[in-house]
Amino acid sequence: MTGTQSSERGNDTGYEHLTPLFAEMAKLAQDDPRRGQLRNELVTGHLPLAEHIAARFSNRGVPREDLVQVATLGLINAVDRFQPDRGTDFLSFAVPTVMGEVRRHFRDASWSMHVPRRLKELNLAINSASAELSQRLGRAPTPSELAKHLELSPEQVYEGLEAGNAYHSMSLDEALSPNADSDSLGETLGEPDSALAGVEDYESLRPLIERLPERERQILTLRFFRHMTQTQIAERIGISQMHVSRLLARTLENLRQGLLADEAE
Amino acid sequence: MSVGSGAGRSDEIELRIGAELTNLPIIRSLAASIAMRADYDLDSIADLKLAVDEACSTLITRATVDATLLCGFTVSKDEIRFRVTISSDSDVPPSSDSFGWRVLTTLTDQARSWVERDGQGGERPGNLVHIELAKRRAEGPA
Repeated sequence: MTGTQSSERGNDTGYEHLTPLFAEMAKLAQDDPRRGQLRNELVTGHLPLAEHIAARFSNRGVPREDLVQVATLGLINAVDRFQPDRGTDFLSFAVPTVMGEVRRHFRDASWSMHVPRRLKELNLAINSASAELSQRLGRAPTPSELAKHLELSPEQVYEGLEAGNAYHSMSLDEALSPNADSDSLGETLGEPDSALAGVEDYESLRPLIERLPERERQILTLRFFRHMTQTQIAERIGISQMHVSRLLARTLENLRQGLLADEAE
Repeated sequence: MSVGSGAGRSDEIELRIGAELTNLPIIRSLAASIAMRADYDLDSIADLKLAVDEACSTLITRATVDATLLCGFTVSKDEIRFRVTISSDSDVPPSSDSFGWRVLTTLTDQARSWVERDGQGGERPGNLVHIELAKRRAEGPA
């Protein structure tokens, strides 16, 4: 992860000043007005934790703001349920609680078709194994390599990969409007014009490409003009290879439809 | 189909399907399934799927009314060959300077297109437009 503070490392968590508040709250009566105040302070104080966890799950097809909201809900639950007299510190209680909440949301919200949970989990496992193996091998893994790594049969991996086709990333819809998703991507590339100029339908393509959201345009350029593989693009942009694959398929389809519409005019 | 152990043996899979864009998902998933079971790496599987999609949609836009798209996959040890044919009124093959063609050549190891006179055209002289693609297994330890 880049861009996140490494505040969780070492003893200095940045949240120590909040610890006494839990003890104080535990001593108060249920109806004490001071409780609400402390609860607010604890939730607000720990917000960076929720944001941090949301960030770890971002770029997987669920809008970041949604993840932050869900993580914040998880954090509120954690604050409400934490019992300081149990001897564990709040962070080791809160982190799994918040992560669990985000994971659940991720599973439930980002599949457009009904896909059994077993397959969703299988697909997620394949996704992360594929990222890991790509790193190690320097190329995308094959289904049999995934099967070996995950200790599954090839048939199970096929099933999981196919389930990925039913996965509908919400951020795709979101990214259909321009500028929906400009953070951290815009700076990487300039216009694809110079590379594109060699093709004869350039004039009709250019406006279509310019209308693409930043990320789609970048993926298109990297794949067809810089000849990077989907796995390399995935790594560069910080999303999964499967997500790159879906975005590319969709972009090409949009361009084709746009070109056809042009011809029809 | 041969999976894994069928070294060197070539297998043919054919699909005849209405030349409609709505049928693309069927052809696409067949392509993905073939490449997956031939144990191509995930990038190559995705590339083949996109390329098949592109080739078929290129031909569908040139199809005569009610035409049938004829798709054939030939799976050999280190290569998947895809050939798609459509009957068309046009005798001009897809331009190799188009963006679509660039997509095909980027995604595959070989792409070619040609037109032939349809011998069994009946009273209406027609043409058959073909696109053939080859995707080789990626280099490296498999």
